[in-house]
Amino acid sequence: MVKTWMLRETGGHSEMALADLLADARIWKLKDASANPPPSRPVWSTGRSALDARLPGGGWPTASLVEVLLETSGLGEVQLFLPALVECQRRVDDSAPPWLVWIAPPHEPYAPALAQQGIELGHLLVVRPPSAMEALWAAEQALSSGVCAAVLLWLQGTDDRWLRRLKLAAEAGGSLGVLFRPERHRFESSPASLRLALTRGEYATQLELLKVQGGRPGPVDCRLV
Amino acid sequence: MTARRLRGGAWRTAAAKPITPDLFEGSGRGDPPASAAPPLRVPPAPQPGTRPRPRQLWYAVVFPELPAALPATSVTASTLERLCLSAHRFTSLVSIEMPNALLLEIQGSLTLFGSPAVVHAAIDQAWSRLALCAHAATAPTTLAALWLARAGRGVCVEEPALLAGALATVPIACTAWDVERLRTLHAMGITRIGELLRLPRSGLSRRLGPTAVMDLDIALARQRAPRRAFVPRQRFRGRCDFETEIETVAYLQKALEPLIERCAQFLRERQAGVQVLEVRLRHRALPVTRVPVGLASITGERRRLSDVLNEKLKSLELPAPVRAMELSSGSLLPLPADSLDAFAGLHGAGGRTSETAAQLVERLRARLGDEAVYGVRSVAAHRPEAAWQRVHELCLSVGARGGLTDLRVLDRPRPVWLLNAPVLLSADLKFDEGPERIESGWWDGKGVARDYYIARPSHGARWWVFQERHTKSWYLHGVFA
Repeated sequence: MVKTWMLRETGGHSEMALADLLADARIWKLKDASANPPPSRPVWSTGRSALDARLPGGGWPTASLVEVLLETSGLGEVQLFLPALVECQRRVDDSAPPWLVWIAPPHEPYAPALAQQGIELGHLLVVRPPSAMEALWAAEQALSSGVCAAVLLWLQGTDDRWLRRLKLAAEAGGSLGVLFRPERHRFESSPASLRLALTRGEYATQLELLKVQGGRPGPVDCRLV
Repeated sequence: MTARRLRGGAWRTAAAKPITPDLFEGSGRGDPPASAAPPLRVPPAPQPGTRPRPRQLWYAVVFPELPAALPATSVTASTLERLCLSAHRFTSLVSIEMPNALLLEIQGSLTLFGSPAVVHAAIDQAWSRLALCAHAATAPTTLAALWLARAGRGVCVEEPALLAGALATVPIACTAWDVERLRTLHAMGITRIGELLRLPRSGLSRRLGPTAVMDLDIALARQRAPRRAFVPRQRFRGRCDFETEIETVAYLQKALEPLIERCAQFLRERQAGVQVLEVRLRHRALPVTRVPVGLASITGERRRLSDVLNEKLKSLELPAPVRAMELSSGSLLPLPADSLDAFAGLHGAGGRTSETAAQLVERLRARLGDEAVYGVRSVAAHRPEAAWQRVHELCLSVGARGGLTDLRVLDRPRPVWLLNAPVLLSADLKFDEGPERIESGWWDGKGVARDYYIARPSHGARWWVFQERHTKSWYLHGVFA
């Protein structure tokens, strides 16, 4: 529609008008898609505007690996993701909600609390693997299966190679992989597209973005628990 | 062995033992071509408005040596099942009468054999090789045939009108009624069925109960009594022998592929699925290694079977080189309705999602164990530790949108992590909220009397703590992570 209208208006200077047209950002060029960046993946709002503002796209990226470094357990790390998990389960209207998989959580996920927050418990899977190796394998399977919206994995330590595999699996399956690790891994390199650290402050948990692909790292002022 | 029920209600049996070639051609599997042979017997055209009653002729055979004292033992059951399978050569309708008898419907086989006497001779000849003592009798009703056989009368009654006469001298113990009823009859001075039939019906019903009268009606063909036919159990069984002994699991996986393909084909032909499979590995000296495999839902899909079996084999450590491998299925189960939907994959994510969710759970369980993968559910209970449960039977079917959503939503905050056992605290705490008194469970010996608070320790976390009301000591029970 736009195209015909513009052409008619510019009349004789059609060649120049075409170049102008192609330069217009509202025109989506079907060919030559490689020149443009691919349409950004959907994001899930974190439920906290201060954090959303700092993340590219305005929320947690899907189909990628997010790494959270924890000084200690219980700093509000689950609360950080719960609003997004609830939203992604609610978003699908007609078919069954996607699955959430929690692998090797440090304590028992308390069902009444999760139901209270709005999680669909019928589509939550808890996996307790006997070893860290098995946990990584389970996470890779769940991420690449394409049925899980998000896979949360708690680990003590792992090597770079496995993280890369998890990232690839997350990209293949289109799900969000969240890896919780102790803070001592802070200075190791990581392929995760987003890294954050949670440390305990004087009165509240401090959230710091360590690595943001397409964004700016630095501390974020938001209340967690 | 194939029998088709014709419209008139007569039974026609095709492949049975004494077969003459022209007979076989005429009534082979499926419908014969019209010109192949003249039809064996044209069923009488049904009269308008009346439905002819199908004539039946039952051949009962009792094996007195089978232990009647132990009803439904597995030994007896499996012996009877084997006998049923061999009886399928004579008729397609075989029924088991526990604990020690079989009933064969032979009216349908008469066309083929000629007369009941020929059928009897054929069956007797087939079973004479068995080292089992058997008593047989034939009658138009199941119970009459059974009672005559139990009495050891090797008679053949073909007309329902003659039943009362044939049964007259049969002892009442042959009815296998309960001891109480038989004792009552003995006290009345009745020992034969003929004497019983002479008594007035209403009095009999009052003294013996309506079931005994109904049994008599069934035996005398006054009442119909359908029988459940024996259906042979079907399972897949495939075997692969190796020319050289196999020592690595990777080769086994390769060799298993064709077996899985055959199994899937077998299931597809029967529109059935399995939930249990077993791989057996045979060694030279050691006993057989069994690898049982359970599936999260009924399936007949090759990919899912091979996924799970491969995962199971991967975690296997071979105790010795393998000479042969067998794959056997559990009993066949009807496929769930959604997997029969030819367009399941086209509706979008719905069908695919559930299929692969089941697949994912299976793959995880095959490697990590059944207990390691579970769901959680909240329970309407006041005690925090009783308010949740692990769920091992996951709801993986299509369109299951969490049917068990909890309507009772708590208004008090609850922590995401619950500690398995409360931890005794010593430090002093600052409280955000509280107290919430929970006092419950006095009836099962695990009673609690606690005051719960939300506390804030010196660092950023929030804890769910309680004070035991009797001991006044403080415990950490949960973390608001």
